[in-house]
Amino acid sequence: MAKPKRSSTRTTDKTCDQVTALVLGYLTDNLSASVRREFEHHLTICPDCVSFLNTYKKTTAVTKSVKQGDIPTHVRDNILTFLRKRIRRIGMLVIYILTQSVT
Amino acid sequence: MSALEILKAPRPAAANCAASAIVPGMSLKSAAPRRAMRQRKSEQVNARLIERLKAGDQDALEAIFNLYSVKLYNVALRILGDAADTEEVIQDVFWTAYRKAKSFQGNSQFSTWLYRLTVNAALGKIRRSKKNKEVEYEEFLPKFQNDGHHAVRPVVDWSDTLDEKYTQREVQDLLARALDQLKPLDKSVVVLSDLEGLCDKDIAAAVGLTVSAVKTRLHRARLFLRGKLSVQLGYSAA
Repeated sequence: MAKPKRSSTRTTDKTCDQVTALVLGYLTDNLSASVRREFEHHLTICPDCVSFLNTYKKTTAVTKSVKQGDIPTHVRDNILTFLRKRIRRIGMLVIYILTQSVT
Repeated sequence: MSALEILKAPRPAAANCAASAIVPGMSLKSAAPRRAMRQRKSEQVNARLIERLKAGDQDALEAIFNLYSVKLYNVALRILGDAADTEEVIQDVFWTAYRKAKSFQGNSQFSTWLYRLTVNAALGKIRRSKKNKEVEYEEFLPKFQNDGHHAVRPVVDWSDTLDEKYTQREVQDLLARALDQLKPLDKSVVVLSDLEGLCDKDIAAAVGLTVSAVKTRLHRARLFLRGKLSVQLGYSAA
C-alpha cells in the first residue's frame, strides 16, 4: 500500500526570535508561501508576537506620518543667489580664457 | 488587533520603484493611473531639462531646483538635524548637479541621482563634523531567551494607546528625537524609505548599498525606533 503523502500545508514551529526577523519580509509581502504560512501559524499561537507585530507596524506608520516642511524662503534665496554667482563667475572665466587664447 | 484580524488585514504592498521616484508636485497618495500618467509626463519634462542642464543652461538648473529642492531639503534636514548644515549641503548638491550633469548617464532615475548626491553630501558633512549623536542600539532591540521566546513577557501592545497618551505633534517629536539617534546611514535609509516612499532598489542606488543591506538596516532601525517608543511609554523595549 502506498504511503500517504505529507500535506503541503504542514508547518514547522517558528520561534519568536525567528518570527521577529521575518517581520519586514511579511509586511512587504516578500516571504515565500510556506514561510508566510509558518509566520501566520505562529501568530495564531503567540499573543506576544501579535503585540510585537502591532507595535512594529505602528512605529512604521508614525514614521511615515512625520510632516515634511517647506524650504524657508531665505534659505531658498541664499542658495539661488549662490548658484547664480557661481555660474556667472564660470561664464566670465570662460570668456577670459577664450580672449587669452585668441590674443 | 487580534491575530485573526492581523491575518485578515491587507498587507501593504512593497513600494513600486517607478512609482516611488519623485514626481514634482505629486502626492504619493494619488490614484495609480493618474500617477503613472503624470510620471510619464514628468519624465519627458525631466529629460528635456536634463539635456539643457548638461549644456550648462542656468534656467534649467533653476527649474530643477524649483522641482526638487523641497524634497532634497527635507531629506538632508532629517539626516543632519541642523538647518545651517542643511543649507550648505543643498547648495553643494545643486552646484554639483550643475557641474557634473554630464556624468548622469540615465542608468537610474534623475531623482535617485539627486538623492544620492544629497545623502553623500550629508553623510560627508557628518563625518567631517564628528558631531555624531548616535547611541548603542542594543538596549532598545527586542531580546529573546535561549529557546527563542521573547525575554520579557507579556509583550505590551501599545499600538492603540500611543495616540491616546500623546497628541500627534508629541508623537512626531518623540519619533524625530529617536530618528536623530540612528546611525547616519541607517537614518538615511529610514528617511528615504518611510518619509520619501522610495523602493528598496532606489534606496540602494541612492545610498550605495545592496538591496539586501538596505532591508537589514531598515529592519534594525525600525526595531530601534519601536524600542525607543516602547521605553517612552514606560514599557520594555524587549
